[in-house]
Amino acid sequence: MAPEPVIHTEKLTKSYKGVDALKALDLNVVPNSIFGFLGPNGAGKTTTIKLLLGLVRPTSGSATVFGHDIVGDTIDVRRRIGYLAQDPRYYEHMSARETLRFTARFFFKGPRNAIESRVEETLEIVGLADKADRPIKGFSGGERQRLGIGQAQVNSPDLLILDEPAASLDPMGRRDVLAIMERLREHSTVFYSTHILEDVQRVSDTVAILNHGELIAQAPIEELLAGSGGVVFSLEIRGDGSATYDRVLNLPWVSEIRSTVNGSGTSWQVSVSDQQVAERELLRYVLADESLTVTSFCRKQYQLEEVFMDLVEGNNDGS
Amino acid sequence: MAASVPLEVHTGTGWFVGFGNMVYKEWGSWWRTRRSLTHLILWLFVINGLMFLVGVDERGSNPPIDVLEELIEVFIRAGGLFATIGVVVATQSAVFGEKQLGTAGWVLSKPVSRPAFLLSKFLVNGFSFVFLAVVVPTVVFYLQVIHHALIQPEFVSFTLGLLLHIEHLLFYLALTLMAGTFFNGRGAVSGAAIGFLFAGLILPNALPSLAPLLPWVLHPLASGVALQQELPDRVWLSVVMTLFWTLLCLLVALWRFEREEF
Repeated sequence: MAPEPVIHTEKLTKSYKGVDALKALDLNVVPNSIFGFLGPNGAGKTTTIKLLLGLVRPTSGSATVFGHDIVGDTIDVRRRIGYLAQDPRYYEHMSARETLRFTARFFFKGPRNAIESRVEETLEIVGLADKADRPIKGFSGGERQRLGIGQAQVNSPDLLILDEPAASLDPMGRRDVLAIMERLREHSTVFYSTHILEDVQRVSDTVAILNHGELIAQAPIEELLAGSGGVVFSLEIRGDGSATYDRVLNLPWVSEIRSTVNGSGTSWQVSVSDQQVAERELLRYVLADESLTVTSFCRKQYQLEEVFMDLVEGNNDGS
Repeated sequence: MAASVPLEVHTGTGWFVGFGNMVYKEWGSWWRTRRSLTHLILWLFVINGLMFLVGVDERGSNPPIDVLEELIEVFIRAGGLFATIGVVVATQSAVFGEKQLGTAGWVLSKPVSRPAFLLSKFLVNGFSFVFLAVVVPTVVFYLQVIHHALIQPEFVSFTLGLLLHIEHLLFYLALTLMAGTFFNGRGAVSGAAIGFLFAGLILPNALPSLAPLLPWVLHPLASGVALQQELPDRVWLSVVMTLFWTLLCLLVALWRFEREEF
């Protein structure tokens, strides 16, 4: 039996003055996953996150988090969530320690020393122990983001929701955020939105792509990176390949060849309908032409950026 | 992240989820910053400074009882007017400021109810402002009265007058918080509350039959009670109605704030 989803939305819709910011979103996030939520600016990512947190109300549709309705049981939902906003704001007169203590006290009654040790532990984890008692108003952007991550995890949440967690961080900060996310997945589910596709490809196991408020893809990352255009093999060749090109194109399991000239050679992207036959036979067919030299042969690996651009641009053309 | 000592988790639901923690935060914004000291100095300077000037002016030629009445009248009327404007200015951004800065959105992403967020502001701002702009200046005023008039005000009447003054202030606090849930600018929030205050200087004369039903007459009544003057028949109606309007403002604020999106 499949585990109960951490986040489940059904036709979740949000409109502002008649304009749909989110259109009938159906989403499922499974436990202990790192779920990357992608989309261009204005796609509806932050709106979705705010709906889950009860900060905005759905126009129609429904959603549950850990089985709790996001409208009726919003307090129960928020008890199990840690949230980092895109542009986190805190009370400037408080120090980092006071901010974490204030956050922790929403979740825990006490005892006081246990709350203090949780706060201390969190300050160590996010590297703010030496600045713990300084007012936040003197903090840099990176320090604020670290504090944001700290306050989002001070309650050891079952679900961590991060809205663009690495957007304002330098490479070191980004690396630390990804490390924290990977560490937290042992006990929590991480749902995060980002523009940094490289990070998504590195840590996420499931990805959803949103465009103009519509979900245009939701799949495990491997499935998404395999591409939607079937299996493609990539060859780099030298020499006149025109005769071989025609011969290969006529093979029954080859559906298309895209040829591009680059430098002294030619690059072929061969789309095939039968991966196993292609793995066994394709290179042999090409090498049968002794005038050709094959310098590279591999199954094409898509980058998330390519997939993302294809899907978003395809969706834009279609809409 | 395993804590060595087990933490007790909050489990409650309803209006007061997170209320204690919000009170702790609001309290800190007054008493763990320079805000309380600033208000203390401001109100001592404005109210007790004014009373000092009035006392010096009155002391020479008038009998002590007249000096006493003049001081109490000015203390409650003028001091009260300044304090009412003060409570509006001091709390005008309590709600809309947090909406604009994004701190409300952050706090409300935690397990805290919206009524707890709003009511903690009413409780702590009300207590802190009343303490700094009414209680402390009153204690100093008492000493000033003894110094200038050489006699003490009648304690019970004076305290009852002050309680009416405090009720009047709390109404304006509730009105300001309510305006903060509707508007997103200082001008609009304080304009609504101070506009209502100044309307009260004109409209009760134009509509005398409605006057006891509205909060405006409570302030003149406060000085009347403090001075043991003869009071209109339906004093209690103004007291009850001001309490009613205060509660209504809070309920409307809660209703509006529940619908707010962050």
